[in-house]
Amino acid sequence: MGSLFFENLKISLSAVFANKTRSILTALGIVIGVLSVTLMGTLISGLDRSFESSMSWLGKDILYVSRFEWFSDMEWWEVRNRPRMRTEYVDKIKEKSKYALAVSPVMQRGASLSYEDKETRTEIFGTNEEYMETISTDIERGRFFTASEDKVGARVTIIGGGIKDAFFGDEDAIGKYIKIDNLKFRVVGVLEKQGKFLGLFSVDKQAILPLGAYKRIFSKRGWMRLSVKVPEDKIDEGLDEISGVMRQIRGLKPSEKSDFAINQTKAFETQYNRLKIAIGGTGFFITLLSLVVGGIGIMNIMFVTVKERTREIGVRKAIGATNGMILSQFLMEAVTICLFAGLLGLSLAYVSSIFINKIFPSTLPLGLSIFSILISMVVGIVSGFIPAYKASKLDPIDSLRYE
Amino acid sequence: MELINLSDIYKIYNVGGEEVRALDGVDLTINNNEYLAIMGPSGSGKSTMMNMIGCLDTPTSGIYHFEGEEVHIMDDAQLASIRNRKIGFVFQTFNLLPKASALHNVEIPLVYANIRKEKRIDMASKALKDVGLEDRMHHKPNELSGGQRQRVAIARALVNNPSIILADEPTGNLDSKSGHEIMGILDSLHSNGNTIILVTHEDDIAKHAKRTIRLFDGKIIEDEISK
Repeated sequence: MGSLFFENLKISLSAVFANKTRSILTALGIVIGVLSVTLMGTLISGLDRSFESSMSWLGKDILYVSRFEWFSDMEWWEVRNRPRMRTEYVDKIKEKSKYALAVSPVMQRGASLSYEDKETRTEIFGTNEEYMETISTDIERGRFFTASEDKVGARVTIIGGGIKDAFFGDEDAIGKYIKIDNLKFRVVGVLEKQGKFLGLFSVDKQAILPLGAYKRIFSKRGWMRLSVKVPEDKIDEGLDEISGVMRQIRGLKPSEKSDFAINQTKAFETQYNRLKIAIGGTGFFITLLSLVVGGIGIMNIMFVTVKERTREIGVRKAIGATNGMILSQFLMEAVTICLFAGLLGLSLAYVSSIFINKIFPSTLPLGLSIFSILISMVVGIVSGFIPAYKASKLDPIDSLRYE
Repeated sequence: MELINLSDIYKIYNVGGEEVRALDGVDLTINNNEYLAIMGPSGSGKSTMMNMIGCLDTPTSGIYHFEGEEVHIMDDAQLASIRNRKIGFVFQTFNLLPKASALHNVEIPLVYANIRKEKRIDMASKALKDVGLEDRMHHKPNELSGGQRQRVAIARALVNNPSIILADEPTGNLDSKSGHEIMGILDSLHSNGNTIILVTHEDDIAKHAKRTIRLFDGKIIEDEISK
């Protein structure tokens, strides 16, 4: 039946191109459907990518012990009386836990950094010498501070790659003095550049100082969290153990609720997956809606086409076309319109994805592109079937007489 | 040799509760290489007769043999196949596909017969040559005169080497000069051994045939063979 296939294809193409405006208007629903499904896919792929790179910065094997949960259903009044984290916990955890590979306290606040006439506002972190083990960033130049520097409260700092570029350009930053809230600190190390976390804030614009100095200069009683690194294959055991150790430190009875939180990057993942489902669900709904509307449009125009070409159908039947041949001809015509619509939608999505990519990194997923084309063909088959079936069942005698 | 045999054919329609006998017990035998004209006033059953012979319609009752095949019990697909293989239609209004070239119009029956592209083009070009349109093959119907369009239709009817050519008022939409040309072609097809069945109400046209049957109220009232 190869010759019939090409004949049908030829008829379909000539019908689609003979009524260009009509075809385009008819196809609009499908175009929008394909556009929305592929753009949604592009968006999610972009989010996935930036989420993954941000997550790798946090590290899966780090437990963040702090006062509050990152994402919680609890009411504020239930958690507001929880005690703060304390620096002493670091040693206690190290002493009692066998899973904790590194424990570092982290305090954070905003501060103004300056070097010569350059000044910027950023976040500063006070921590201990094990901090580097709890983040995935590496030191690009210089070194981290030592335990004894921390102990004596030495005024040394490690700065993010962004600060280094802004203050020193191509010059070497090591050994130079910068001012943090007007106090001089010596730069001993520069961190590798990372890019933005979840596209929100840049980790390259931070400065890290020993907790000893931080506490003395800025505040003793600020917000603090503890980052605990556990073995990658023992995260759940580590979580249980650290939780137990913390309860012990706090002296909680078995009946009492924990008055601290142990956060994991998993919490972000859960939160992120919810977001993804929301975006995907919305996209799916829009796609479904426009495909249904588009399908109805195709069906409608196919009914018109069958009506317009009743006489042609009669002639074709008189000279030997079977019902099946007529059916396949009109089905193919519907599929052809949908296929063009799908391709049009896909090219629009491709062009849009180039622009989206300029705002945040993303790609048009290949699998989804193929899927969307298949879906538009399915819409063609489904919506073209009834009109094509009607055409195939037309009586040749009546059709030949049709004016 | 016997080509078509209609035996006791009835075609009964029910129009608004009233029974209409479009064909009322028709017996007819058509032999190979006959040149037959079917005549009769409108409403006489002429068109039903043509549709019946052309396998576009099946009888309410009766037996129809076409080269030994039992048409009266065929389903839609078998009817389509016999039309495709054995019958060439020529219509009053030409019924060409407006967007297709002359060549492609002639090719279409061969597409439905599932013949390869190269062979189709050979056969269609030859059929167009036979009706004197070899230099108009790539013209669309709206670029051709009425007479030329009907010649394309004849080429389309001929291209499958059918057993009969069924022409329904073939000159009805033509001026007399073009009409003469078309009848000339049909005459020469007959002398080349084809079987031609004309449906007409014009005596001038019917005169080309060697045998004339007249229908009235669904019955054959006259079957005359001229010399």
